Amino acid sequence: MEFDFDLENPLLHSNDNFPLLFQIETDHMPSKAYLHTLNPADSNFSIRREIVSFIHRFSRNFDPFSSYLAINYVDRFLSTHIISDGKPWILKVVAISCISLAFKMRKTEFSVSDFQDDGGFILDSVTMERMEMLILGALKWRMRSINPFSFINFFISFFEYKGQISSTQALKDKATEIIFKAQNDIKLLEFNPSVISASALLFAVCEKSPLQLPCFRDAISSCEYVNKGNLLKCYNLMQLEVGMDAYELDDISSSSCTPPNVLDLQYLSSSTSLNNPLSLTTTGEIRS
Amino acid sequence: MEKYEKLEKVGEGTYGKVYKAKEKATGQVVALKKTRLEMDEEGVPPTALREVSLLQMLSQSLYVVRLLCVEHVENKNGKPLLYLVFEYLDTDLKKYIDSHRKGPNPRPLPPQLIQSFLYQLCKGVAHCHSHGVLHRDLKPQNLLLDKDKGILKIADLGLGRAFTVPLKSYTHEIVTLWYRAPEVLLGSTHYSTAVDMWSVGCIFAEMARRQALFPGDSEFQQLLHIFRLLGTPTEKDWPGVSSLRDWHVYPQWEPQNLARAVPSLGPDGVDLLTKMLKYDPADRISAKAAMDHPYFDGLDKSQF
Repeated sequence: MEFDFDLENPLLHSNDNFPLLFQIETDHMPSKAYLHTLNPADSNFSIRREIVSFIHRFSRNFDPFSSYLAINYVDRFLSTHIISDGKPWILKVVAISCISLAFKMRKTEFSVSDFQDDGGFILDSVTMERMEMLILGALKWRMRSINPFSFINFFISFFEYKGQISSTQALKDKATEIIFKAQNDIKLLEFNPSVISASALLFAVCEKSPLQLPCFRDAISSCEYVNKGNLLKCYNLMQLEVGMDAYELDDISSSSCTPPNVLDLQYLSSSTSLNNPLSLTTTGEIRS
Repeated sequence: MEKYEKLEKVGEGTYGKVYKAKEKATGQVVALKKTRLEMDEEGVPPTALREVSLLQMLSQSLYVVRLLCVEHVENKNGKPLLYLVFEYLDTDLKKYIDSHRKGPNPRPLPPQLIQSFLYQLCKGVAHCHSHGVLHRDLKPQNLLLDKDKGILKIADLGLGRAFTVPLKSYTHEIVTLWYRAPEVLLGSTHYSTAVDMWSVGCIFAEMARRQALFPGDSEFQQLLHIFRLLGTPTEKDWPGVSSLRDWHVYPQWEPQNLARAVPSLGPDGVDLLTKMLKYDPADRISAKAAMDHPYFDGLDKSQF
């Protein structure tokens, strides 16, 4: 047996056990207390920002799923360990150890020398091993993180069942892009991975085939494992925090339901409102 | 390892010695397993990391022995080693069955207890299978018991390459073949969760009989034991059997009445056992389906 860790299929060769994923997903999230410290007045805010930026720098030549996993490790590590003195080299050691653990979990070939930076920083193996063990202990060796990617196939299958999606790959790609962006947004860290996943897919549907959004929203909302209140909150926040960004990068097509600026948002939201307990305006905002 | 006081050697696991030890700070009794996974130049070895993290995930179940923590120590030569620290249970199913067969007071295992242990075993196996993990070496020695609470837990989840299941154990003890599924004995390379269900069936029968159902001492003898009781398999019972790598021409035995091998089991028990010992792995009952079998109807499942 091989034990590679695939973020989309965290349980080995077992793609149909989604109830279990919903049951254990919160074991793989940062603590609430830690999330409260992530405000600009607290030192954790800049510590996280620094470590995340090291991770992006050190792993820029590798696939982004490893850095996603590494940042999940960082958030969970910082949930139990306080780095009081944010010396840059300590932050680098944490960053490198989290990437190295993520690479090892994902069977990515790498060498410690990949992590040398322009400043001539070289990490010795003893220090790295100690930091890895410290992180493993803090995370209780729960390294197979249940993450938003783990739920994409579950929510996609909802849609396919209703026979409404022509190009699921395009939706997956878009949702994946949004999930990567969402990790950079501190406000979105409080949501369960499944909620991030569902919101990102709604967001993707909103962009790729907006007419089908109400049906998809209903399908997802009817799922017994999804907390509708949280989904609503997350989706709306995602619109504000990630949405604008996404559209700055992409061409804004006529089918887009996220307006490129605030004026349009006001204009559009006054134009339509569905008579539905969970109604969706043409801006893509969900209202309760 | 100065955190722990080694009390005694409690076993020769497939992967090395197992010690009963006491954590000095808390007095908690634990089982220490030294892995042969040595650290390399680039920190924690990747195979160890992947396998131990999987073990960690599986040990969330009440019916799998809990991995309490992982200790990182240096051996005499200054080489770092990993120790797995598990919860300690004082007996296993083999010792328990032995105590009912030999000793001052030989007696059958209480039927309700067989039922309860089998249910817990199925539950633990279903848990492993739901994570996509096969145990591959289920046997009474690997099933630890908390006698006071009547709880059975699966131990020695061997996993993969870093812990490969060898023919001989680390300490040159012969690895038992008694619980090995026929497809494994016949050299099938694509085996599945059904291999564990065969072992569960053998263990079920052993609890009822107080002795092993198929006590073979070589792979060939093991197959003959199975064929003598269940009949030599044919292409009709098991499509593809004669194309398996190690298939030979065997004496043609007719299937015997399984109920006679387990006289203490009622018709529901025999029916469940029959479903666990199906030749064709595709026909063998799954752990999850077994939990719903009428044999367990009288059991209060809410306690599990």
